[in-house]
Amino acid sequence: MAHRADQTTLLRATGVSKRFGITQALDAVSVEFRRGEVHALMGENGAGKSTLGKVIAGLHKQDSGTVEIEGHTLEPGSLDGAFAAGIRIVHQELAQCPNLSVAENLCLHAIPKRGLTVDFGAMRERAARLVHTIEPSIDVDKPLGRLSPGHRQICQIAAALDEEGPHGGAKVIVFDEPTSSLSIHETDRLLGIARDLASSGVTVIYVSHRMSEIFACCDRVSVLRDGRYVATSVVADIDEPTLVEQMIGRRISTPGAKAADALADAAGIDHHTPENAPVKLRVRGMSSPGKVRDASLEVRAGEVLGIGGLVGAGRSELLDAIFGLDPLATGSVEVDGVDVSARGCRDSIGAGVGYVPEDRRMQGLFMNLGIDENILAPMMPELANAGVRNLTAEQREARQRVQRFQIKTASLKETTPDELSGGNQQKLLIARWMRDTTKVLLLDEPTRGIDVGTKAEVYRLVQEAAADGLAVLLVSSEMPELLALSDRILVMAGGQIRGELTGADMTQVNVMTLATQE
Amino acid sequence: MTETDPTEQPVSQAPKRRGLGGLLAHQESGLVLVILLMGLGLTVFGALNPIKPKSLTDVPSTSSVMLIDGEGMARPTGSLPRTEIRGFRVTYGSGGSSDFLTEDGWWYDSDTNQLSRQREVNAFLNKANLVLIVNNASFIAVMAVGMTGVIILAGIDLSVGSIYGLAGIVGAMVLTQLPADMSVALAVPIGLALCVTVGALCGLANGSMTVGLRVHPFVITLGMMAALRGLTLVLPSEIYNRQSISNFPESFVGGFFRAELFGVQPVPILFMLVVAGCGWFVLSRTVFGRRVFAIGGNETAAGYAGIPVGKVKILVYTITGALSGLSACLAIGYYGSGETNAGNAYELQVIAATVIGGASLMGGRGTAIGAVLGAIVIQLINNAILILKIDQSYNQIVMGAAIIIAVVIDQTKQRLAAKRG
Repeated sequence: MAHRADQTTLLRATGVSKRFGITQALDAVSVEFRRGEVHALMGENGAGKSTLGKVIAGLHKQDSGTVEIEGHTLEPGSLDGAFAAGIRIVHQELAQCPNLSVAENLCLHAIPKRGLTVDFGAMRERAARLVHTIEPSIDVDKPLGRLSPGHRQICQIAAALDEEGPHGGAKVIVFDEPTSSLSIHETDRLLGIARDLASSGVTVIYVSHRMSEIFACCDRVSVLRDGRYVATSVVADIDEPTLVEQMIGRRISTPGAKAADALADAAGIDHHTPENAPVKLRVRGMSSPGKVRDASLEVRAGEVLGIGGLVGAGRSELLDAIFGLDPLATGSVEVDGVDVSARGCRDSIGAGVGYVPEDRRMQGLFMNLGIDENILAPMMPELANAGVRNLTAEQREARQRVQRFQIKTASLKETTPDELSGGNQQKLLIARWMRDTTKVLLLDEPTRGIDVGTKAEVYRLVQEAAADGLAVLLVSSEMPELLALSDRILVMAGGQIRGELTGADMTQVNVMTLATQE
Repeated sequence: MTETDPTEQPVSQAPKRRGLGGLLAHQESGLVLVILLMGLGLTVFGALNPIKPKSLTDVPSTSSVMLIDGEGMARPTGSLPRTEIRGFRVTYGSGGSSDFLTEDGWWYDSDTNQLSRQREVNAFLNKANLVLIVNNASFIAVMAVGMTGVIILAGIDLSVGSIYGLAGIVGAMVLTQLPADMSVALAVPIGLALCVTVGALCGLANGSMTVGLRVHPFVITLGMMAALRGLTLVLPSEIYNRQSISNFPESFVGGFFRAELFGVQPVPILFMLVVAGCGWFVLSRTVFGRRVFAIGGNETAAGYAGIPVGKVKILVYTITGALSGLSACLAIGYYGSGETNAGNAYELQVIAATVIGGASLMGGRGTAIGAVLGAIVIQLINNAILILKIDQSYNQIVMGAAIIIAVVIDQTKQRLAAKRG
């Protein structure tokens, strides 16, 4: 990292503790941040890195401990206080109105007026000045909701850097998992912005669990584990296995390997291509206006077919169309010889297709129902007698799945999914579809946002599913995971399948090359 | 990473909370508590301000008293069991006689030789008043059970009052044409089938339009509320030139819906209990019921789990319509007439009952029993205003406040529960 941060401490968190219900999210954590550095906060999910970022920005009020900036102690839990002291947070769900234009969003705190009316000209001009220094291609008249996630984030950064704002310029910017919904190109752009900010003297606190980003742009990295501070290191002096070890607290036995590769190895994944196995899923000429164009594929029993590509390449849309959730989709789908084309997802489920969608909270879980009903949702009718539930059979079945998939839950009935960790939520959704009748499993980003330990379990589940003779279609944006789990890889871009990679051709470079064709 | 024996995974049932705290954790028991507390307060008030005997008459010593039986025949005192006494005939020494009927509250006390009109009774805690409260609640409660399903779906049905009005008036228009001496076995099924069918068709229209046109149910049912009320006004005036229709077969009114049992008229209450039981069973013990909860909790996820979202929604609205029709049938049978303005503003009471009963307007939560208890709470409030001799105009103010307070209490409880983890 060819960058020298100022050696003086700008921001200091001392002995910060924070408790949510029974979870000790932060336990007496102390970290120092220097002026003009990009300082990463790393850790598994639930390690407390996001919580620390939010305490610093005043979004959360700590139970004990202090945050000081330039020697002044900040009032705990005061967003205004932190803002006045020059601390900004760029956070996905924060203070944006998708129905208003970019300009209006950027000037929300002080809309320029001429008399009693809004001075649209001045507003547009000011917004353009702010946002175009970072990204000139953004149209400030567009409704914010119509921008890509990356551009939306840039607008937030622009707002954070607004020196004409009520409190002057920013000294510290907290990025909370900034790249989780960005494409690779947008991610690169964001990392560049973070570096530029640091060289202009702003301290960037970068909350992330993406290894590659830490090495690409951060000066120092502090690791948290289970709410406790582990260590702060200079990024140039540390390697990935050591970082992973700090994060998970146990040494991974393959030094030098990518963390995910190591996990895949630990899960004992081997590549096998069952040539004679029957085709369980055959898709022909699948198209959907504006989403997917003429996609065809075949998956055999026991095979894991990976689908690579960038965000927005149409991979989730393809899975939706195969499953029967896209009413505009055309093309044929055959499951184990049964034609289920365009007949809706109930027929697909009946024919033996299971689908674990990308967004657990939005597309998967029923937060008002217990773990048992969440697992059994698709098969409750099969267990019932003429529509009347068979409670005994349901309990037996749910208990069995919870145990088989090692879902850590306090109770079957009383616990709701929002009380589970992300990893256990994901296992629950996989368990939902692992039935005797399932022949095809569609998995969309099955390890997104779950911790390193559970990832290995999910890898093992995928492998077991294939070993049981299921045909698995796997969409993943995590390259090592895609390469490690798949027997073959199709790469999509712009809604089309651009190519197929097998055997030794399955490399990161080849996937990227195909994925950027458009 | 670590290989654990799957059987080691503990799946314990959460420890059931015991005692008062555990009881209060359930919405229903909280409501029962509220009802009991209100009842206790009103009983105390009712005891302090009892309904006074209206008059007291000494029977002249020259007169004789005989009992009147069910057929209106005079019988000697002591010849009839208490429950079969319909009145007392006093034959004066001068030869004339007067009847004092129990219906009018008269009773003869042979010890004191006095005819008294009602003993002093508790203004709240007396059989007639309690039955009146629950009877009035039952019309609302039957609809509220359906509304609970709609609200669990995160929907809303503003048209229940108008469906109630239309189903009642259509039922009345047909019933008034039937022969006055028609048998119970014919008149009641005809009335029920008519009202329920009209209601179900209206509900089916609500559901199909909401699902098919993808319009928010608020808009669809708001439109239906106005349109159906209009139809209710137009139909009888076009055909009979009247706004009130009565003269049903006697078997439909006195013979069934207003039939007496133990000196009260409990038929609407019995219907309410059956509907509440069915509602509980359907919502908690059938696949359909759990699908309603799943859709209300997360409609997108329900689609991904293969739940036929549209069909379930249409069915829920249809059932709600059918129950509104049933409620209308109970009402025209009980009151003996159909009115064009019946059920006006009932949607407010029905939604209030549902919400007080613990259903969340965000969807995903609610119970049939809670809705019934909510309806009873509302009638208790009505009754309290009557007993406390508060101006009836304050009724709406109190009702509105009750809805808001109920929702605030419920949400506070939810937040506390979430904090406890």
